[in-house]
Amino acid sequence: MSSVELTVEVIDPIGLHARPASQIVKAVKDSGLTVLIGREGENLVKANSPLMLMALKIKTGETLKVSVETEDEVQAASLVAEIQEFLKG
Amino acid sequence: MSQVLSGLGVGLNAVVAEVFQVAPAAALPAWAKSAAGVEAESTALKTAIASVAADLARLGSAADETTAEIFEALTYLLEDESLFDMAVAHMDEGWSAGAAYGMAVNEFAEMLAGDAAFEERIADLQDLSKRVQASIAGIHVGLDLPQTGAYVIVGEDFSPADTAQFTPAVVGVITVKGGPTSHTAIICRSRSIPAVVSVAHADEIQAGTSVLVDPVGDRIVIGASLDEATKPLEFANTGRDPLVEVRANIGSLDDAEAAAKTGAVGVGLFRTELLYLNESSQPSIERQRDLYASILAAAPAGPITVRTIDAGSDKPVPFLNMPEEENPALGVRGYRLIQDHRSFIEDQLKGLEAARVATGREIWVMAPMIATVQEAAEFAALARSLGSFKVGIMVETPSIAALIPDLEGVVDFVSVGTNDLSQYLFAADRMNPSLGALLNPWQPGLIRTLERIASQAKAAGIYSSVCGESASDPAFAVLLAGLGFSSVSASRSQVDAVRAALSAVDESQAVALAKSVLAAKSAEDTKSAAVAALSAL
Repeated sequence: MSSVELTVEVIDPIGLHARPASQIVKAVKDSGLTVLIGREGENLVKANSPLMLMALKIKTGETLKVSVETEDEVQAASLVAEIQEFLKG
Repeated sequence: MSQVLSGLGVGLNAVVAEVFQVAPAAALPAWAKSAAGVEAESTALKTAIASVAADLARLGSAADETTAEIFEALTYLLEDESLFDMAVAHMDEGWSAGAAYGMAVNEFAEMLAGDAAFEERIADLQDLSKRVQASIAGIHVGLDLPQTGAYVIVGEDFSPADTAQFTPAVVGVITVKGGPTSHTAIICRSRSIPAVVSVAHADEIQAGTSVLVDPVGDRIVIGASLDEATKPLEFANTGRDPLVEVRANIGSLDDAEAAAKTGAVGVGLFRTELLYLNESSQPSIERQRDLYASILAAAPAGPITVRTIDAGSDKPVPFLNMPEEENPALGVRGYRLIQDHRSFIEDQLKGLEAARVATGREIWVMAPMIATVQEAAEFAALARSLGSFKVGIMVETPSIAALIPDLEGVVDFVSVGTNDLSQYLFAADRMNPSLGALLNPWQPGLIRTLERIASQAKAAGIYSSVCGESASDPAFAVLLAGLGFSSVSASRSQVDAVRAALSAVDESQAVALAKSVLAAKSAEDTKSAAVAALSAL
């Protein structure tokens, strides 16, 4: 299956902490899609585990790659927009 | 068992009710291999996770919104898929479900370690790990307190998770361990629940027995009636001013406003760290000025003593990077933060100076955790270069307590924090529930140290005060005046009681009381000597 790759920016002043991590996992699970998140150039982690996302130790100001396994670009964009909201703090 | 058990009282009100024994949670089984196979073990883990999730949902539905959100976030960690997969990997190695989950949690704790933002989450995870392991082993961890009726609950000590489960049926509390500054004591004081902590053998009292909780008498009495409760000392209203000035301890705008309604003359301890604990980035000088100005304007008339930030890795400020330490109480905390965060402490003093100018209030500033005269001199020079303050230090370390004469000409005042001074003097961790009795302020070792601080400060021309918890006890406040301290600072709820005591005595009476207390050889005897002297007034 092909995937749609987009980026988000972490604006939350505490970085990617427990709360946004849980919100992202919930949204991803609700969408039923497989989503990978991580830093550009590093291994991405599956966004079904808040602990794995927290363990990336992502700080304020970092840009993240979000890869959504779907062919529906509109659906992918709307999910990523939702993820971006969670990272605004 | 005798009918009277002694401990340390919390509060002034007594209560009589039936004992409800909170069973101590049984120890978790040691991690072991299992022959049951991965499928059976992973099913057991799934069932346990579901059962803990149901407990969290139940606690969350009964709690306020903030607490409910916390429980919801915990559920996400509990049900984390990667955590489960890691646990299954350990089951593949032959470990039982409880062991495998415990190991997986430890691995995540290690991955998250070293980041201040995750410290509390790691503690949460470990707590969840214990609950899951207990559920697998069939061990019950909840308190299961009655919802109705009236009970004195008895337990070893109560954690924040425990006190959150206190129901309206809890009318009194007795703990076997824990000291006057334990979590249990602080919660009971703030909710006005009569309590006596550090009562040895209280766990042996039969459930259902009627017991008198007598905090003023520092004891519990089995089978006694309310009439037998020790009466708080009452002081005749002399219409005089207190023997020494009584100030208030504050930490927020609410505190400042409430303190202004008491008879307090100024503020003896303004704990500033509370203003920063919820800030995710360092507030600007202007923002700090506005925060301080609102609180200074509301505070009771008189000088306001502001303590610069007193944070450490056990109570981290989000925007100051505080690496985890083996012994946070002995680590980089208080004024020691200047090593890495000089600009923060400078900005704090600049914000305060701007607030002082804006409000016209008299400000005294002091630094916590000073251990050497050089540190005191360095802080004094820094504070004087940034504002028009009276400058002082907290006396909390035994090393600075031994050097008071050398502070002559260096600082304008000293203020003793008796909670921390006790902790360091007795080498007794304030967080260790087994050591509560050593932290009793009536310990002769503390009182004689206080006597030396007061008399040496006087000789060096340095103003001295006490702002620790002990100064909120009216009898102890009279002792402090008798030892020669220039002022005391009490919790705002205790200011008027302390004022009443200090108005009832004259200087010669306070000095005589101090003399008889100094002659006593144990914490019980020092307190009885003080109570006897006050009762004879």
